[in-house]
Amino acid sequence: MSQLPIQLNVNGQEYFMEVEPHRTLLEVLREDLALTGTKSNCQEGECGACTVMVDDRAVNSCLFLAVRAHGKRIMTIEGLAGQGKLHPVQEAFIRYGGVQCGYCTPGFIVSAAALLATHPRPTGEELTRALAGNICRCTGYVNIRRALRAAIEAGRNAT
Amino acid sequence: MNEQRIVGQAMPRLDARAKVTGEYVYGMDFSMPGMLHGKVLRSPHPHARLVDMDTRRAEALPGVRAIITGRDLPGVMMPGTVWDQPPLARDRVRYAGEPVAIVAATRPEIAEEAARLIAVKYEPLPIITDAEAAMQPGALLIHEDWASYKAEDGLVRKGNVCCHSTLHKGDVPQGFAEADTIFEDSFSTESVHQAHVEPRVAIGVVDSAGQVTVYSNTQLPYWIRTNVAHVMGVPESDVRIVPTGIGGGFGSKLYPQIEPFVALLARKAGRPVRIVTPIEEELAAGLPRHPCRLYIKTGVKKDGTIVARQACMILDTGAYAGSGPELASVGCLVLAGPYRIPHVQIDVYAVHTNKTNFGAYRGPSGPQANFALESHMDIIAEKLGLDALGFRLGNIVEEGDEAANGQILRGVGLRECLEKAAAAIEWGKPAGPNHGKGLACGWWTTTGGLSMCRARLDVGGKIIITLGTQEIGTGAIMGGVPQVVAEMMSVGLDDVRLVVADTASGLWDFGSQGSRTLFNVGRAAQFACADLIRQIKDLAEKILEVPADDLELRDGAVVGKGSPSERISLADLAKLDTKGDLHGRGQSYPDPAAYDPSRMTSCLYPAFHYPSFHCHAAEVEVDPGTGEVTVVRYAAAHDIGHAVNPTLIEGQIHGGVAQGIGMALMEEIVYRDGHVLNNNWTDYKLPTFADVPDVQAIIVQHPVEGGPFGVKGLGESPVIEPPATLANAVYHAAGARLTSLPITGEKILRASKEREKHT
Repeated sequence: MSQLPIQLNVNGQEYFMEVEPHRTLLEVLREDLALTGTKSNCQEGECGACTVMVDDRAVNSCLFLAVRAHGKRIMTIEGLAGQGKLHPVQEAFIRYGGVQCGYCTPGFIVSAAALLATHPRPTGEELTRALAGNICRCTGYVNIRRALRAAIEAGRNAT
Repeated sequence: MNEQRIVGQAMPRLDARAKVTGEYVYGMDFSMPGMLHGKVLRSPHPHARLVDMDTRRAEALPGVRAIITGRDLPGVMMPGTVWDQPPLARDRVRYAGEPVAIVAATRPEIAEEAARLIAVKYEPLPIITDAEAAMQPGALLIHEDWASYKAEDGLVRKGNVCCHSTLHKGDVPQGFAEADTIFEDSFSTESVHQAHVEPRVAIGVVDSAGQVTVYSNTQLPYWIRTNVAHVMGVPESDVRIVPTGIGGGFGSKLYPQIEPFVALLARKAGRPVRIVTPIEEELAAGLPRHPCRLYIKTGVKKDGTIVARQACMILDTGAYAGSGPELASVGCLVLAGPYRIPHVQIDVYAVHTNKTNFGAYRGPSGPQANFALESHMDIIAEKLGLDALGFRLGNIVEEGDEAANGQILRGVGLRECLEKAAAAIEWGKPAGPNHGKGLACGWWTTTGGLSMCRARLDVGGKIIITLGTQEIGTGAIMGGVPQVVAEMMSVGLDDVRLVVADTASGLWDFGSQGSRTLFNVGRAAQFACADLIRQIKDLAEKILEVPADDLELRDGAVVGKGSPSERISLADLAKLDTKGDLHGRGQSYPDPAAYDPSRMTSCLYPAFHYPSFHCHAAEVEVDPGTGEVTVVRYAAAHDIGHAVNPTLIEGQIHGGVAQGIGMALMEEIVYRDGHVLNNNWTDYKLPTFADVPDVQAIIVQHPVEGGPFGVKGLGESPVIEPPATLANAVYHAAGARLTSLPITGEKILRASKEREKHT
């Protein structure tokens, strides 16, 4: 099958690669770049486990063809923590019990981080809208909500 | 009085950091060099004779390395309570989605294409999809040879009924004769899926010497080992199951589905083989919750005292028995309820239909039976003009009471649960227009079974705990057990390392399931720590010249009781342990709960070990125009014995309630003529961030002797009460009594219209 050359910036690192045009960003991240922190489940945009940021926007990487990501900036869960320091949303998930089995966690955290990057003080409705596409079956969302409120509050106090 | 330093604290779980950074390794993240990709070919028919199968075109496809059909496994049946299921269908398929062949190829899309190229000739047969119809005399038999199957001793089986369990106490006709009023209701529930976010996945490797290794995200590695060994015809000790990280299971990952397949394919292909079950197959052919019909009849005195209960529950168990026989007895116990009733007769049937074999979803049988029982309790209270809370309080079991099966109840915190949950939603205060309040209570088990553990004093005074079952997400293994160990060893949580061993270790475990994990694995860890402490003190005695009995562990050291200057750190002791002697062993096998066997027939799960008690209370709003239900507030009080980690406990309660809200209001696997119509997460509705309120978890602590620090099971119970709680609240909000799940807006509007017609 024919391959197309693409250039991706993933977590600040440039990658030059050739990919088949049908392959998704999710497959390329997990299989070619071994970035398995982005999780694979429904393959049809229903669960949000595969959420990554493309040019700062949260997208389902299972529905995003890798060739479409050519020349774009990708941020995955592996790139969220900087210099050994966790992102405030990651810290809050640990502290407030936002993690159980953890399989939805990377997608959830990336969705939340993408929202907070543009809306540091989201309303309850904005928060719900941003996260309603991430399915969690363990936590009932209660401690995730608690963690996010704490992270938002900490961000407010820091500024 | 409370001298615990670690147990009782809301500490971060050991796996939290790896999970928020994406570093935690799940089953889905495994791959092997040279790995092939497997595909399961499934029957498109719910019932058919399998006349012929031609694999030649598939075999000719470049990249195909192995194809196996049911005819390659003559006579092999999967182990179980009833041995009724071949690993791959041989001459008959009994549900749409039943595996008929498996393929391994170099790429997933080649395996899929090969599966499509297998020509299967079916001869469709009539189907039965209604469990009650399947019970009728003369009904089409789904297993014509049912009587010849190997089965567990004492199971009452006949035709399509693979188990009829009964609980009988007192004299039920006499009880109804004594009653002033008799109430009768019927209910139905649909199947719902565990919807774990990580798919079911397994990788099989077989070497030339015949050693079989299977990597699986299973909750129950040793049962997978039994099944893989049996299907492959090799000794169990030649099979090694490596339990990987699990992205949610909720009972779905208890029973083998793809593990024998990857091992068979790997042996034939001579290469590792991986199979993932995609969502569309998982929803159609996984192991979801049993759909049920329930009939319940209660005799009550004028003052609200219950004198007699009769109930019948029909579990649609699907094409194969699976967990149905065991869950029939669980249904008996839930329907008898946590109530004092002198006369009780419960009959539960597990019945075959042409659907997938339903499995053990969190609290199996629980929410179905509780929905019927606790809706019925509210109907009775309403008709008698009694307060629903007061009616229950007048009939519930108390400390030292006998349950219907004759077991004596200890650590009964039910009254406190009822009172606290009700108070949390301001029970006595009237709700506003279109609002309504409801509650429901229940009891559940802490499953027993064997767990084994090793505790080792390692370099630097660290404690290494090795055990045989995986963290499933609850935090029992990566939160609860390490806290119990740190407490026992008087070290910091940072000083505990936890290793989940594969089955080659021989550390047998009954698995991460059944609300048993912290109780049993934690108990095994306690015993291992006690053994290690004895060894540590014996060594310290020689060094400190203080009798071992006068030594204690404190803050990472062994010190003299009352003479803290006599001291050696665990790190220094570890240095002296050059021969590697300091390791403790522990195994937990709690005595099964005593009950009265004369009251139970054909019951594989006849008692609730170390039972837990709970009450949920909710306020809902029903939109009068659309019937849409909003859960305004929700409180769940759980008597869990002793709270080892409050954050983890609350997390179990929140998550269980959310799943219960799903089952109550939106989730349903929709069958038509034996086919699943909604096998994707767009059409199968799951609760999202927008649907679940800030559930208030109320921790009630009536400890029991047996488990670590008095704990009882918690994992399953929070999913049991939400359907009844919400049905009762909806009744008060909309005036519509819904007796079938899920309670959708459409059903509420229809029931309201019916009611208007009749008034």
